[in-house]
Amino acid sequence: MNRVAVALCAALALAGLGASAGLVLPARWRSAAVGAATVAAGVAGAVAGAAAVSGTGWQVRVAGLLPLAGVTLAVDALAGWFLLLVGGVAAVVGVYTVGYTGRTGRGPAARGALALLPLFVAAMLLVPVAGSVSTFLLAWELMAVTSLLLVLSEHRHSPAVRTAGLWYAAMTQAGFVVILLGLAWLAAAVGGESFAAVRAGAAELSPLVSSGVFLLCMAGFASKAGAVPLHPWLPRAHAEAPSHVSALMSAAMVKLGVYGIVRVAFDLLGGGPRWWWLLLGAVGAVSALYGILQAAVATDLKRLLAFSTSENIGLILLGLAAAGLLAAAGQLAGAGAALAAAFLHTANHAGFKALLFCGAGSVLHATGTRDLDQLGGLSRRMPVTTGLVTVGALGAAALPPGNGFVSEWLLLQALLHQVPAGGTVLTIAAPVAVAVVALTAGVGVATFVKALGTGFLARPRSAAAAAAIESPPTMLAGMGLAAAVCTGLAVVPTVAAPALDRIATGLRVESAPLHGSGIDLRLAGIASSISPLWIAVGVVGIAVGFAAVARAAGRPRRRARAWDCGDGPLTARMEYTATSFAEPLQRVFEDVLAPEQDVDVTHSAESAYLVRAVEYRRRLPDRVESRLYRPVIVAADAVGRAACRLATGSVHRYLAYMLTALVAVLVAGVLR
Amino acid sequence: MPVEPLPAAAGLGGSVQVRHVDAGSCNGCEIELGQAFSPVYDAERHGVRLVASPRHADVLTVTGPVTVNMAGPLRKTYEAMPEPRLVVAVGDCARDCGMFAGGYGVHGPVATVVPVDLQVPGCPPEPAAIVSALRRLSGR
Repeated sequence: MNRVAVALCAALALAGLGASAGLVLPARWRSAAVGAATVAAGVAGAVAGAAAVSGTGWQVRVAGLLPLAGVTLAVDALAGWFLLLVGGVAAVVGVYTVGYTGRTGRGPAARGALALLPLFVAAMLLVPVAGSVSTFLLAWELMAVTSLLLVLSEHRHSPAVRTAGLWYAAMTQAGFVVILLGLAWLAAAVGGESFAAVRAGAAELSPLVSSGVFLLCMAGFASKAGAVPLHPWLPRAHAEAPSHVSALMSAAMVKLGVYGIVRVAFDLLGGGPRWWWLLLGAVGAVSALYGILQAAVATDLKRLLAFSTSENIGLILLGLAAAGLLAAAGQLAGAGAALAAAFLHTANHAGFKALLFCGAGSVLHATGTRDLDQLGGLSRRMPVTTGLVTVGALGAAALPPGNGFVSEWLLLQALLHQVPAGGTVLTIAAPVAVAVVALTAGVGVATFVKALGTGFLARPRSAAAAAAIESPPTMLAGMGLAAAVCTGLAVVPTVAAPALDRIATGLRVESAPLHGSGIDLRLAGIASSISPLWIAVGVVGIAVGFAAVARAAGRPRRRARAWDCGDGPLTARMEYTATSFAEPLQRVFEDVLAPEQDVDVTHSAESAYLVRAVEYRRRLPDRVESRLYRPVIVAADAVGRAACRLATGSVHRYLAYMLTALVAVLVAGVLR
Repeated sequence: MPVEPLPAAAGLGGSVQVRHVDAGSCNGCEIELGQAFSPVYDAERHGVRLVASPRHADVLTVTGPVTVNMAGPLRKTYEAMPEPRLVVAVGDCARDCGMFAGGYGVHGPVATVVPVDLQVPGCPPEPAAIVSALRRLSGR
């Protein structure tokens, strides 16, 4: 029997087993059992993905499982890549979950919340392998519902969780509706609902239908991926969900939005006109810039990470848009390079974001706060966590030798080396995209220096941070695994080359976009290469060498206290906080961020010249939300209130409604 | 006019960075010290510079009887300096508390707080005396 089939069935069965274990086992064993099942399901899913990206395909149709259409599963290299990604993240997060949820039996460790975790993983594994429109929609909805319930695990804890759940529910369901409309329209237009039939019939579609389908699906998938301006659920849900759920959602689930765009636009519709890709690229550029700017000024650690997810999704969409645009212009080599960069970035982002969200969870677990202004000094109390988070932050900041660097370098190369023959649009769009990526990378460095510097280094700013304790070994092990994957991706990204080759061939762009001789990474058709391994060896070597030389040849070392001008001891109040660190950036981008500041001065009763108290408040509202969503919400609210007047509770009125309706139906029937 | 170099200052190599601490002085010594670095006496031509932090300094000049409140900061300033480090007590008060000896707020002469390498007598010492003391450190 097919390897993919075996591994995939095993993954689903293990997830089911995990869910039942979560329901029936006592609180003492629940976390461990569910965690183990999640790890096993994740590993099995990753094995299936690895087999699929190395060339094993699989297709099956089970007619009786779903009414009318049946269930169709189809695994190709593209699906395999996302199976590998989801499986890997689930395996890492599964280990972490054991320690994070603990044995309390409450909140995220409650019966339902734990049972849902393997189901969520199973739903995410089903999305990329769905082989027909109805199966895909089923898996997608399953994923949306399970993730929504997981976001709500701590709803008793704070009202913010309920608000986040409401936002997420509304946006994910609206997204589902537009995807449903788009895919149903597509299936109806080609006259078949399996992906194979759609693929075969897509060439005869009229431009109106294919563009309509593209726009609907892109809107739905981009909202799941957290692209601006469809992102407001993301900073809320990621921040308020339990951290292992945030890690799964940010590292794996939003990538399935990317999968949806690739599947529909590249695979099913087979590419499209230039304006599709310019639109996608514009969404990507706005997401990247807006996401990283909001992350740079965020003081909530998980909100910062959530906005950084928007940023990375923006970069991925930018890569996809470049690939589509170049393919439309006939430059298949460049298209392959951009596609490879985008796919590699999905894996890199999954790695470092799973690690960072788990790290944020450890901080929350140890201190009870996510506010960077209240943290600090964790490096002494939680040295292992700090070290692991540093690996993730290095990747997120896209600095060598972190893993984000490799894919951003590839993306820049793909954009920079565009031949002028591509036409005016490409000649203008490519440098703009390069500038966007460069600015994003720059602000990204500041963001993660802030997150690591103010959150983990220096002195603790609150009693909670001062009393932090290192996380239990299972949490550290989960993060350690993620850090190992990040390091592997950073040092030998060439392992992904064969998989990217198969994906690119499947999507009809240049095959073998990325090739390397083990350590060198080259892009097809582009005369530049990079060797991440040697960069890593060089950076580490220089650092170690300097330390060794300084130790061997320098004067004897003396420990001296920090110079405090001879005054009393330095206190945490003298440190840079996350807010003050980001203040210059906030000032530079004031027009975009539009911060709201209040200064209230209370004067003494005796004299207006004597100030008794000064109160300063600063808020950085999400401008897209307040300008775009608030009016819609207010209007919907008004319509709802107006509709209330129709239903007053009077039986007479309801009977009158019924009579009117009956008469109207009869009249309509007679007139016809 | 040649000066007799201080053996302890040989490691400074003719370049002396000075941090000044007023440990309770009446500011008479500060005026003279200011004059020592003025264009008239110009201590900088002998390789002596005033710096803004003990972290940058080789030499600490201290004036005044060390008051109770300044004893701690003076000690911390000395501890913050990199080695080799030297201390010059400028003025009579720094040497033996002068007319303030026995005052209720006086801790004691500079030598009771940090080790003193060179003393400049006078109340206040003339700028020329300060410059010649500093020249013994720079050796030029």
